[in-house]
Amino acid sequence: MPKASPRTAPRRADAALQSLLTVHEATLSNGLRVRLLPNAQTPVVSLYTFFQVGSRNERPGITGISHLFEHMMFNGAKKYGPKQFDRTLESNGGRSNAYTSNDMTVYYDDFAVDALETVLDLESDRMRSLRISDSSLASEREVVKEERRVRVDNEITGMLDEELGTLIFKAHPYRWPVIGWMADIENISRRDCEEYFRTYYAPNNAVLYISGDIDPKKTLALVRRYYGDIPKGPTPATVLDAEPAQKGERRAQVRHPAQSPSLMIGYRGPRASEEDTLVLDVIQYAMNKGEGSRLVKSLIYEQQAAVSVMFDWGWRIDPGTIVFYLELKPESDPQKSEAALYAELERVAKEGLTERELQKAKNNLRSDQLRELATNTGRAHALGHYETLLGSWQELLVLPSRYAAISNEQVKAVATKFFAPERRSVVTLLPEPSAA
Amino acid sequence: MALRSQATAKKAPPPPRPIRLPSTTETTTSSGLKVLAAERGPLPLVSIRLVLHAGSITDPKDKEGLADFTVRLLRRGTETLSADAIDEAIEFVGASLSGGVSEDLMSLYVTTPAEHFSSMLAVLGQIVREPSFPEKEVELARERTLAQFANDLDDPDTITSRAFNRALWGEHPYGHDVGGKAAHVRTFTREDLVRFHRERIGPQTALLVVVGAVKPEVVAAEAEKAFAGWAPAEQGTPVAVPTVARMAQAGKVILVDKPDQTQSQVRIGGPGYRLGHPDYFAAAAMNIVLGGGFTSRLVNEIRVERGLSYGVGSYFDAMSAAGSFAISTFTKTASTREIIDVALAEVAKMRTGGITPRELKTAQTYLAGLYPLRTETNESVASVIADIRVYGLGEDWVEKFRERLHAVTAKQVKEAAAKYLFPEPPVIVVLGRAAEAKKLLKGLGPIRVVPVSEYA
Repeated sequence: MPKASPRTAPRRADAALQSLLTVHEATLSNGLRVRLLPNAQTPVVSLYTFFQVGSRNERPGITGISHLFEHMMFNGAKKYGPKQFDRTLESNGGRSNAYTSNDMTVYYDDFAVDALETVLDLESDRMRSLRISDSSLASEREVVKEERRVRVDNEITGMLDEELGTLIFKAHPYRWPVIGWMADIENISRRDCEEYFRTYYAPNNAVLYISGDIDPKKTLALVRRYYGDIPKGPTPATVLDAEPAQKGERRAQVRHPAQSPSLMIGYRGPRASEEDTLVLDVIQYAMNKGEGSRLVKSLIYEQQAAVSVMFDWGWRIDPGTIVFYLELKPESDPQKSEAALYAELERVAKEGLTERELQKAKNNLRSDQLRELATNTGRAHALGHYETLLGSWQELLVLPSRYAAISNEQVKAVATKFFAPERRSVVTLLPEPSAA
Repeated sequence: MALRSQATAKKAPPPPRPIRLPSTTETTTSSGLKVLAAERGPLPLVSIRLVLHAGSITDPKDKEGLADFTVRLLRRGTETLSADAIDEAIEFVGASLSGGVSEDLMSLYVTTPAEHFSSMLAVLGQIVREPSFPEKEVELARERTLAQFANDLDDPDTITSRAFNRALWGEHPYGHDVGGKAAHVRTFTREDLVRFHRERIGPQTALLVVVGAVKPEVVAAEAEKAFAGWAPAEQGTPVAVPTVARMAQAGKVILVDKPDQTQSQVRIGGPGYRLGHPDYFAAAAMNIVLGGGFTSRLVNEIRVERGLSYGVGSYFDAMSAAGSFAISTFTKTASTREIIDVALAEVAKMRTGGITPRELKTAQTYLAGLYPLRTETNESVASVIADIRVYGLGEDWVEKFRERLHAVTAKQVKEAAAKYLFPEPPVIVVLGRAAEAKKLLKGLGPIRVVPVSEYA
């Protein structure tokens, strides 16, 4: 097998990105890390709290607890009781939401500048003293079950994605869906949630990003005042990656009343911190970004082998997945479309990209990075994203130089390694007549 | 904490920092295209937005979906550039082009690194001035669109929205889907596209807005080059659309049968107001309290108190001539009736009782606090500049937004509630397992069960 990414790329901080990101950093004595990004362009602020916990930290029996728990964080703490979090925030000109992924749970607030202190009070209150009642847990459990129904049980891509996860992973917690199995959602107890809170929602397992029309010095003083006395928690257990090597292609079928067959195909990828991750970004852009990209041009326009095609390469802490989704026409033969995709992947492995495609992918990665940094919320999120996955937000600054250095030889080596048939798992949706 | 609050309360709060749009420079090209340019940094990016009065209301009677189909075909070839050449020109430099159609407008958007602004504007000029609509591209797009219509039948949200739109508007020009329907799309020919382009896509029906790291004089000069010789559309006047007082299926229940579902999608709706209507601010404040934010009454009763749904919200959908007010949610099949009853009870309570002064204050602070987000990116600034001009919102729309919002009184909110919260029985659309849901819906109005295939 060819060795991917033989050399280490240069790591120069990008001047344009650096000029957009003036970051003040601090770590409180309880381990809470704070990153402040002043920007006075608009009189609003975004606050992001990244907790290093996701479905990766779960175990069978309580799958989905990270996500269910995310909901519980809005249901009352010591100072701001049930319903008070959102009420206080909204009546001060702010809004809030959160998401959970395999690797992290992220809470965010956007608000008018004069609500900053109130938001810090609200956020620190729930980090310090969340209270979980049986009745709010019972009600929220039903909400999450509805969420699962709408996203998985009644949605084709949700169904296929869940099936694919269990094919690709045998041992790693990436095996189960972030939202969890229905029976687990039903059985997670208040005690499970309380234990989860103590373990993962401590200041030493969190990073705060505050971006917007702020004075860094005053803001840091406020952060210290509100968060400084929250006790440090225990160090969470390390997640063991016990995933065995894959020894051949894996396949599954889903039968469901549908108009057309469709395909979801996954390959095991690298972990975010590996150099190969960036090479896969370049390959993803060249193959699936825009109307002129390889897969769109070939599978949709030229061969008409698909109605739409998606190439999803999402960074993860442990080795993640490269997923393709092909939406097909009614009556089409999924095998043919599958073969057409493999032919394109093999072509990249064998011939690489053209110099122009390579440059185009890099240009687009650059534009998207700039677009991401156009808003307070984008800047705060980007810092948190890279810090969680790469260990330091400064990694964001050197990404342009690392992308720029990627060669066609690396593209070929990475495509050869990761698109190997033995790393593949395939889920085919076969339409069956509706029950009625 | 309490002490500190008292201490700061003694000082008068500073007035909120004014929000202003960047100043715009207006020019007109020799071909008659109005151009609005606003310079804005610091990102080296530019957002370009071209809007045309060529929305789905301009679709010919038997060619529903033609405007939407046309905007997608514009980039599939011009007199001098093939589809591949267009894609390559735009995408190589890291720019992007997208297009879309609403009931009222056709829009084309380009975002580009600033250094490629001129060449990207030139490509945009090409594709609207002289698209060639190659026969082969039309054929492929038609087939793909038909396949997409078929696959849409598996997407409960899409089909429910489609059914709801038809039930609300019926034969009104807003009543056909922007994307049209299979029976019409099947008949689309190259000639249809050529005619639509000739009749609807010209400089006098268009407005170009450019926001970002580029000087207004550069925008004016490059627009002149890019749009020189653009021939006027034959039917340059916007289509007149009638206003509406009653929705097509008012008082009725449409039950779309999709037997594989474990959940029911629910929409409830009635008439709203047109864009730029004076009721906007009172209605917006009312809606925040009823079903806008996370603390709204609907969210509280349906999600927080009863755990009936993951998502529930109410909204006004305002278009140039008329609009609608609607509630949208979903729940497991067995609680289909309960969720409708709870929603209608909240609406009735609001209609008769209005809101408290405290609720009004919260809604105003919430909307005003987040309003500056509307001016955060080049794209959103371009969008609000275009809306102000196209819908006649007034040049001081952004600047005066928070002032006007704060001027809303509880009495005005009560009037808005009485006026828009289903004074006549609403339209109810449910998509789900009809065999189980039908018996739950008794008493809400005449029920019509429709197979999902009706919405292809």
